[in-house]
Amino acid sequence: MAREVNIRAIVVQGLSVLLLCAFIELGAGKVFEGMRGYFMATGLIVMVPPLLGLRGNINGALASRLGTGLNAGLIKPRLAMSTEVKVNLASALILSVIASATIGVFAFGVNVLTSAPSIGVLELMAIAVLAGFLSALILAFLTVLVAIMSYARGWDPDNVTSPTMASIGDFVTIACIYLAVLLVV
Amino acid sequence: MVVYGIKRIVLESFPILMACILIALAAGYMLNSSIAEISELPLILVMIPPINGMGGNIGSILGARLTSALHLGTLEPRLRRQHVLRMNVSASALMSFAIFLLFSVLFFAIAYLSGIPIARSLSLALAFFIAGMTLSAALIFVTIASAFVSFKGGLDPDNVVIPIVTAIGDVLGVTCLLIAIKIVGV
Repeated sequence: MAREVNIRAIVVQGLSVLLLCAFIELGAGKVFEGMRGYFMATGLIVMVPPLLGLRGNINGALASRLGTGLNAGLIKPRLAMSTEVKVNLASALILSVIASATIGVFAFGVNVLTSAPSIGVLELMAIAVLAGFLSALILAFLTVLVAIMSYARGWDPDNVTSPTMASIGDFVTIACIYLAVLLVV
Repeated sequence: MVVYGIKRIVLESFPILMACILIALAAGYMLNSSIAEISELPLILVMIPPINGMGGNIGSILGARLTSALHLGTLEPRLRRQHVLRMNVSASALMSFAIFLLFSVLFFAIAYLSGIPIARSLSLALAFFIAGMTLSAALIFVTIASAFVSFKGGLDPDNVVIPIVTAIGDVLGVTCLLIAIKIVGV
């Protein structure tokens, strides 16, 4: 599929996905708006953009690897747990835990430096790791699903997977942060 | 050919993710420090998520396609006489044009309907369009550069390109928007 570059297919697939994403993004913004006050008071607000960014990046890289794997024939377009898929999933989960913990530490540092109100460093880390792992678990599996299904339907997963997952990712991550807050605090 | 290994993916990705987190923190800080200037202008806060999101998406699609092509060998990390590269860049440019034009029309409608005079609504929409197209051009360049450099350096570009492009997109999105507004003079 990637052997022949078809501008029309790229633009049509890309544009329809981008339009869908625009609406999901607006929804995520609304949810975030509603929780803003609570996030400000606890120092969690600093953590939100990096956690969203991290989620997008880990999933984007996962999607990109899956797209390459599918286009190169290394990954079979079947919904089965092949070794390639397992390795990719495991890497995404491990990265999420380590990087989320680091974000918790960074966030505490920023709060202290700017003397903003903040909960303790361990609580921040716990919330970051819990939210990071939960959202990674949901989103990594969804990424595999979207990549394989789009390829099986004859779309290029390179056009579809990362934009869709970036938008759904923002939504799921914000919900997971909220859930982690309820569990930890 | 690609052989996936957990160790390679984690080791290659972690430093890049950390760099991206720092860039994201810098972007947040920049946004915070210019928030006073930004809040005075109507609609700008609404424009920031779409411009960052769409910029990141356009870069990600191009990045995913280029990395697949590099791995498949249909694209070589050179700029000259690369048919696949030219077609992919054209497709991304066309997609940017269409999506930012659509958003500009949408923003014009929102601005006009919320009571902003027609001339100012037009210049707001124009500013968004200019910012979007400038951002796309910059991100297309960053995507190609990071894909080629990482591939030549023996890294898997799948692990590198998308994080770098989305992080830089977040910084450049706000910057492009502010510059475009100054140029158009809203």
